[in-house]
Amino acid sequence: MPHRRIAVTGLGVICSLGHNVPDAWEALRAGRPAITPFDGPELAKLRFQNAARVCNFDPAAHFPLTMVDHLDRFAQFALIAAREAAQDAGISWTPELRQRAAVITGSSIGGQSTQDVQFWDVYHLGRERVHPLTIPRTMPNAGASQISMEFGITGPVFTLSTACSSSNHAIGVALQLLRGGGADIAIAGGSEAPLSFGMLKAWEAMRVVSPDVCRPFCRDRKGIILGEGAGMLILEPLDAARARGAHIYAELAGAGMSSDAAHITQPTVDGPVRAIRGAIADAGLRLEQVGYINAHGTGTPGNDPAETRAIREVFGPLADRIPVSSTKSMHGHALGAAGAIEAVATLLAMRDGVLPPTANFTEPDPACDLDYIPNVARTARIEAALSNSFAFGGLNAVLAFRSVNS
Amino acid sequence: MPDELAEKVIGILASVKHIPREKITLQNSLAELGFDSLDTISMLFELENAFQVSIPDESARSIRYVHEIVDGIRTLQSAGPSKPPAEPLPTN
Repeated sequence: MPHRRIAVTGLGVICSLGHNVPDAWEALRAGRPAITPFDGPELAKLRFQNAARVCNFDPAAHFPLTMVDHLDRFAQFALIAAREAAQDAGISWTPELRQRAAVITGSSIGGQSTQDVQFWDVYHLGRERVHPLTIPRTMPNAGASQISMEFGITGPVFTLSTACSSSNHAIGVALQLLRGGGADIAIAGGSEAPLSFGMLKAWEAMRVVSPDVCRPFCRDRKGIILGEGAGMLILEPLDAARARGAHIYAELAGAGMSSDAAHITQPTVDGPVRAIRGAIADAGLRLEQVGYINAHGTGTPGNDPAETRAIREVFGPLADRIPVSSTKSMHGHALGAAGAIEAVATLLAMRDGVLPPTANFTEPDPACDLDYIPNVARTARIEAALSNSFAFGGLNAVLAFRSVNS
Repeated sequence: MPDELAEKVIGILASVKHIPREKITLQNSLAELGFDSLDTISMLFELENAFQVSIPDESARSIRYVHEIVDGIRTLQSAGPSKPPAEPLPTN
């Protein structure tokens, strides 16, 4: 029996490129990265100085102060993106729909910024007490729960955590939940706010962070640039979306998931290959229909050649004709939010027929020999697109989107 | 013969990789000793702690042999103790 087709009818985003979809999309189209130095004296003690931060952000402009007290930065981002997506989709909430609605979010580390501050006080300042809101702010499902409370959503609500693939896994699981009839509408995506000092020191020790900018697939790439933010999609059955006259960005046509079962941080080629093939098969796509791939493209020595080889293995000679870009070159690597922010970029690319580039591009690594859309966006009609996420832990999740106009 | 500094480096490598120190010579490569990427960053962390130095990412990436580690630590130590930048960076 053919499964229910699922549409994307709303988008929300907040990241270093902008606090909403129009601002972020303008920067993505322009190929304009938003990577800036840290402020704060303790942050000068880091080996790297730049991140893709959400700047000029005032929580009080979005939430009453009593609510701000309950929200870690990652949950604030989740709510802001969910509000924008729900508004964009023009959902008419009814008691019945609220019971049949789901929220599935991804987050790699939850509210660790809150934990960092509170535990500093205990360990370092010798304080005897931790703030009582530490647990409700820190728990990784805080974002999903806050979204459910905001909209009165009483169906399935949960968070999954698969490091840098978290939100692609969340969106993929939401797709399967909706197909299976477990819900009639879903808010799915992810959020992350990993730029606390303790987390930054931990990333520094991993020696994968670039001292300047992120140059995916380039010979002189030096690693990731950490980012923060959130992306959220509204997903609902295609027939229901059409019946209510909603704007449809594209069909979320498939998801593919795999595990490397190899090394806790070093990627394989085979794992990503199986996830990409899985997404294409789940979507019922032919290889030649894929007109754009939003790459995982971290800018690390390990990922970029492995991802390139995986794309070549799946697409064969067709790989030379498929434009691939890493928008992490602009919004950084937002870890558990990365897949959702990149899904938003991919859907906007399909809507407008504009492929965002890989920014900061110098010259390609010989081991990375695809068309990476260097520095300048490109016009193209896209029938179908993929968005890749490959996580530490060897956990891979790939989403496939198909235009509903074709 | 390894000197005191080299002996200390070898001790750290042995402890990180949980292998007998007698198995490690200055001519060994990290690959021969079975160090993967995570073993290597753990080793760099222990070296920085033990010798009170800061090993830049660029140098860390080019290290292949045990003797290169010993030479690198010696160079960093002769350059004096590591100090973080005192002033916060300008922002934009």
